[in-house]
Amino acid sequence: MTTGPGRISAHAESGPAHDPAVPALALRSITKSFGDFVALDDVDFDLRSGEVHALLGENGAGKSSLMNVAAGLYAADRGAIEIAGQTVSIRGPSDAQSLRIGMVHQHYKLVMPFNTVENILLANAAGGYRQSLQRVRELISEKADLVGFEVDLDKPVGALSIAEQQRVEILKVLVAGANIIILDEPTAVLTDEEGQRLLEAIRKLAESGCSVALVTHNLNESLMHSDRITVMRNGKVVDTVLPDAVTGPDLTRMIVGESIVEKRHLSTVTGKPRLTVRKVAARRADGLPVLSDLSFDVRSGEIYGIAGVGGNGQSELVEVLMGLLPPSEGHLYLDGPGDITLARSDERRRFGVACIPADRQGYALAGDLSVSDNYAIGGVLSGKYGSWMRLDRKTMTRATRSAVKKYDVQGVRSDGQRSALLSGGNAQKLVIAREFSGDPTVVIAHSPNRGLDVRASAAVHGHLLSARDAGAAVVLISEDLDEILLLSDRIGVMNSGTIVSEFDAPADRHDIGKAMVGHV
Amino acid sequence: MSDIARARRFGRINLEIRDDMPMWKQSLAFLAGVAAGLVISVVILLVSGVGLAALLNEFVVFIFTSPKNISGVLVQAGPLIIVGLSAGIAFKARFWNIGIEGQVIFGAIGATLVAINDIGPPSLRLPLMAFFAALGGMMWILLPTILKLRLRINEIISTLLMNYIAFNFLLHLLYGPWQDPVSSFPHSEQFEDFERLAPLGWQSLNTSLLIAVALVIFCFWFMVKSRFGFQLNFVHSNAQMAKALGVRVAALTLTAALISGALSGLAGFAISAGIESRMTQSFFIGYGFSGILIAFLARNNPLGIVAVSILVATLMIAGQSLQVFYQIPFAMVQLIQAIIVICVAASEFFIRHRVRWVE
Repeated sequence: MTTGPGRISAHAESGPAHDPAVPALALRSITKSFGDFVALDDVDFDLRSGEVHALLGENGAGKSSLMNVAAGLYAADRGAIEIAGQTVSIRGPSDAQSLRIGMVHQHYKLVMPFNTVENILLANAAGGYRQSLQRVRELISEKADLVGFEVDLDKPVGALSIAEQQRVEILKVLVAGANIIILDEPTAVLTDEEGQRLLEAIRKLAESGCSVALVTHNLNESLMHSDRITVMRNGKVVDTVLPDAVTGPDLTRMIVGESIVEKRHLSTVTGKPRLTVRKVAARRADGLPVLSDLSFDVRSGEIYGIAGVGGNGQSELVEVLMGLLPPSEGHLYLDGPGDITLARSDERRRFGVACIPADRQGYALAGDLSVSDNYAIGGVLSGKYGSWMRLDRKTMTRATRSAVKKYDVQGVRSDGQRSALLSGGNAQKLVIAREFSGDPTVVIAHSPNRGLDVRASAAVHGHLLSARDAGAAVVLISEDLDEILLLSDRIGVMNSGTIVSEFDAPADRHDIGKAMVGHV
Repeated sequence: MSDIARARRFGRINLEIRDDMPMWKQSLAFLAGVAAGLVISVVILLVSGVGLAALLNEFVVFIFTSPKNISGVLVQAGPLIIVGLSAGIAFKARFWNIGIEGQVIFGAIGATLVAINDIGPPSLRLPLMAFFAALGGMMWILLPTILKLRLRINEIISTLLMNYIAFNFLLHLLYGPWQDPVSSFPHSEQFEDFERLAPLGWQSLNTSLLIAVALVIFCFWFMVKSRFGFQLNFVHSNAQMAKALGVRVAALTLTAALISGALSGLAGFAISAGIESRMTQSFFIGYGFSGILIAFLARNNPLGIVAVSILVATLMIAGQSLQVFYQIPFAMVQLIQAIIVICVAASEFFIRHRVRWVE
């Protein structure tokens, strides 16, 4: 398997032993390093035509890097790429496109004020504008019918939901003529229901003859919706298996190298109510009422889970709790300071309220600033790290280093590294390290495991549980019912901007499901 | 696929995003940008007929060895540094202060008000003029700031339009109540000796340079060393996140805007009391855009602003002598200045990215 550095080996090797057919796409002995860090170490991967092939692994296992090599975004240091048995050289995204490889990234590349047709035309420009517009519009409808997508072609893309924007991205690569389609963590940003619909569409794509590589860290997704699963760990392929031949725990072991099973453990000591929400109503910026008559209490030493289908006012509830959206009616009380309805976010923080928002890059991290700055801002605002006259950068750096170690934030290569360069799981760990550095008495966590792999999400859950055991009142707002059931001591179900019913743990999954969708 | 095969023989450029870059390397990139710009400019000047010896004489010998020219550069750099700081601190708060010229005008008006009305004892006259100048600048930025914070009115438009109001008010004063009674020219009467910034005793340098240095130290403390600056970085990078974490974004923006206005006002004071010795109808011209440009090139860093201001001042002085002694048209001087600025701006790319040649 030794090929010269920087050379693309010309001889086609036969595929893995269990694969007699010629794969649509084969990556052979791919090696790629960034500085000293080896992201991909002699990796083989093949994709047959008409299959959905799940590429499973933790954040940072090398899944995205491998697919970026196939899509022409990274140049491999060593290794070969074959399309239908022929060695090809992919030197950029345009080469990949001409070889009919299309990739949908985690972060969409869309022009928000343009509509769907214009966005897709922009990526597939050819010939006159007007004729192309018509041609592309027809192509889009054809491809959308094929996979069963419904997309509004004339609305500005910025006005579409995340799920709809994703469909636009997928249609973009289909219109470009791709038959090898790479989807990078497509369900990470979607709610359960939307994710399900997407996976069905992916199956239709494969049935129409396309080959789909599905990058994911979700076990169930790969077990239920793929034809084969390749597991990666630390830049290497662990194995390629058939979904029927393995179980969830098997896969977990392959992914992390050990088995991680999260166990429910309920609170033993619950105190008096710490956070009280009474008859809160709120309107969005556009005047639409989103919360109404919303009430619940959270006692110290308990996790209060708020379950519900996404879009029922969860995000606005978090904003109300954080002090970013003033409620139009009702009150918030905190044990101690009393009525905090009108308290600013800095005052609430001083009262011991910490928050882990769902939109990390939007509400929890400043991407341009360093890991150290992002960690220390919490302490700086509460008066740590020097005086207002002089900031103590040295102590700040030292504290960051020890927090990075304690919370196992990986991928921090230097003190000045920008936080935007951290992967999702590590960014979340950094947020948690900061939020927990002030020993909070109230923790608001919104979808804390969104986009995280098994190990990272277990770590995040562990931190929430230990905060609870230390006496904090934890509000866990999540659209992932498994997460709610695993962690919560009490569960409130949110529907149409209010809590419709409450359950004590252990609660029945079906009862909660019923309350989530219907009116009780 | 033949073109792909052909391309393979030549290798290609690989771009990687850098994690971060130490300060000294960033300074080096900046200097390399200046050097590249100078090389291109020299080529253009050679083509247009200026001899190499003459150029060397002009830039190296004339500018850097003649005390008169060194002091000329420094005198020119003083107000540029102050307006650069003004722009830098506002931009750091994502407040796009395009109204620096208006604030410079109102700073000069504040200083002149004190000077021609003989407010306060002569020994306190200059500090009072400076105080009123800062107040004038702050007053002129206050309205756009409140409009932005309260009603979300875009400050780019409002501060820009405030320039025209300020300019017309200045003309009203100079053709009306403040017209020079001695010469009847449209400028204010000359300031008394104790109303002018004292010379430092070397060439044409005066205390306005010391004021600039003091303001640089203040801004460096405020933006880099203090807790305000730390929070301001977050307002700059992600205001929404800053707010969620408890940074008082509106209060900080207001503070930064007022400081920006005060700095512009002081620049007006430094120009009128340090260079012109009176208020004229054109003393402010160019400082607004120079300030914006300087802050942009220095990426709002106070020490960077000093370096860029000196560079811009050098280009101005060198440009003047090129025009006078070599009959180089003014357009050519502007072209050279623009080339150097573009090269410095382009060096930013190499700070953000690592460029490697791969086979």
